[in-house]
Amino acid sequence: MSAVTPSRKRLQSWLGPGVLLVLVLLLELATRAGWINPVLVPPPSAVAQRLFAVVTAGSIFEPLGRTMYLLVVAYAIGCVLAIGLGVLMGRFRPIHGLLEPLVEVLRPLPKPALLPPLMLFLGLGDTMKITAVSLGVFFPVLINTIQGVRGVDPVLVEVARTFQHSRAALLWKVVLPSAMPLVLAGMRIALGIALVLVVVAEMMAGSGGIGYLIIDLQRSFRIVDMYAWVVILAVLGYALNEVFVRIERRAIHWSGARAG
Amino acid sequence: MDARVNSPAYLALSGVGKTFGSGAGQTEALGEIELAVREGEFLAIVGPSGCGKSTLLQIAAGLAQATRGTVQFHGEEVTAPPPGIVYLFQQYGRSLFPWRTVLDNVAFAVEHLPGMSRAKARASSRLYLDMVGLGDFAGHYPAQLSGGMQQRVTIARALAAQPRVLLMDEPFSSVDALTRLELHALVQDLWRKHGFTAVLVTHDADEAIFLADRIAVLSARPSRVVRMLETGLPRPRDRLETPLMPRYLELRHELLAMLLGKAP
Repeated sequence: MSAVTPSRKRLQSWLGPGVLLVLVLLLELATRAGWINPVLVPPPSAVAQRLFAVVTAGSIFEPLGRTMYLLVVAYAIGCVLAIGLGVLMGRFRPIHGLLEPLVEVLRPLPKPALLPPLMLFLGLGDTMKITAVSLGVFFPVLINTIQGVRGVDPVLVEVARTFQHSRAALLWKVVLPSAMPLVLAGMRIALGIALVLVVVAEMMAGSGGIGYLIIDLQRSFRIVDMYAWVVILAVLGYALNEVFVRIERRAIHWSGARAG
Repeated sequence: MDARVNSPAYLALSGVGKTFGSGAGQTEALGEIELAVREGEFLAIVGPSGCGKSTLLQIAAGLAQATRGTVQFHGEEVTAPPPGIVYLFQQYGRSLFPWRTVLDNVAFAVEHLPGMSRAKARASSRLYLDMVGLGDFAGHYPAQLSGGMQQRVTIARALAAQPRVLLMDEPFSSVDALTRLELHALVQDLWRKHGFTAVLVTHDADEAIFLADRIAVLSARPSRVVRMLETGLPRPRDRLETPLMPRYLELRHELLAMLLGKAP
C-alpha cells in the first residue's frame, strides 16, 4: 500500500458523501429544467421541505411508532426463538437430524409469499404481521446460531467439564458466548430483512405505519409526501444498522481482538 | 514400611488401554498401562511422541474413556471428571475464554461452587492471580497477554479450584525457552506450597527431572510403562545448581538413552 497523507485521507473520506450530494443536485437541476416530469419526481428541495414539515409538525411519530413497534416485537420474538432452537440444534445431533430437513425446505421460501396465506389464518391485524416478520427474522439467525454453536472450541467445553460446571452452565457460559459473533452477524442480516417485511406487510394489509402510509399517499397522488416518507424509511434503515453495529462492536469487542 | 505404600494407590490406572478406530484402520494407542500415583507426589510421564501420553492423562481426568481397564481415584472408579481432579490443557490460548477478563477467567474455577458469590469468587481469584505474578493484569483480556502469561492464567485458574490432583498436559511446550524455565520454578513453588498431587506429561527430559519425584517412561505405541525412575534430587531444586548434580546428569543420560531408543 502506498503511503496516504492525512490530508489525502480526509479528502477520500469526503468523496462518497460528495458523490451523493452531486447526484441530489443533478436531480434538482433535472426536475427544475423540466428534463424529468416533476409530477412523478418532484425536486429534492420540495421533498426536503415536506420532510421538514412532517418532522416539525410531529406527524412523523404515529406512523413511525407503529412501524417500530411491529419491528421490535417481531424481531425480538424471531431472535429469541431462533437462538434457543439454534443452540439445541447445534448442540444435540438428534434434534438437528429431526428438524434440519424442515428448516432447509422453509428457509429459501421468500417470506413475503407467506403473507397471503397468513392473512387467511390470522387476519389483517398485528398478529399476522408479527408472525410474518418473525419468520423472516428466524431463519438467518437460526442458521448462524447453529454454525456458531458447532464451531465452539472443544477445548473450552473440556475446561467447563474439568471444573465441574453443569450442562446448563456449559451452554450459558461457554457455548452461547462462543457462538455470539456469528449469532450477531445473523441478527444484523435479520434486522434488514425485518424492516423490509414490516413495510411490505403494512403495504399489503395495513391500516397504519410507514408502509401503509407510503402506498396510501401514492394512491392519492400526494407524490411529494410519498417521497418524504421514503426518505424517512431510508434514514430509519440506516440508523437501525448503525445502532446495531455499535452494539455489536461492544458486545464482541474480544472477537476482533482475538482475530488480530 | 510407610502405611501409605500399602494402602490402595491414590490415583490408580490398571490395565488401561485405548484403541482408536475399528477394523483394519484401528490404532492401538495405549497397550496396557499400570500406574499408581501416590498422594502428594510429583509424577512425570515421558515417552516418545505419538505414544498416547495426552490420551492417558485425559483418561485419568475422566475427560476420555478407556477402551480397556479402569481408573480409580480414592478407590472410586473414574468415568466422568471427578471433583478434586483438574486438568491443565496444553493449548493455553484455546483454554481461556476470550470474552472474559483475566480475573473472570480464573473465577470460572470457583464461581459455581456452593456458597460462592461473585464478589467472593473474584476476591479468591485475585489471590491466585497474585501468586502467579499477574495481579496487575486482572482487568486485561487474554488476547492482550503473551503466551507465557496466558499459561500463568490457566495455572492460577487450575489452582483456584484447590485441586487435590493437578494433571498437566505438556503445559510448557509452546512457550519460549526462558519463560519455560520461569514456569518450572513457579510450578515447583506452588506444588510445594499447596501440597496437591501433580502429574505432568512431557517429552522434555530436563523438565521431567527438574520437577518430578518419579518419572514413568512409556514405550512407543502400543505404549506400556517400561521404567519407573526415582529422581531423588533434593528440594527445593534450583535452575542453575540442580542440573550440575551428578545424579541429575545420570538421570538425564538414562532418560535420553531410553527416549532415543539407545538404552542397553
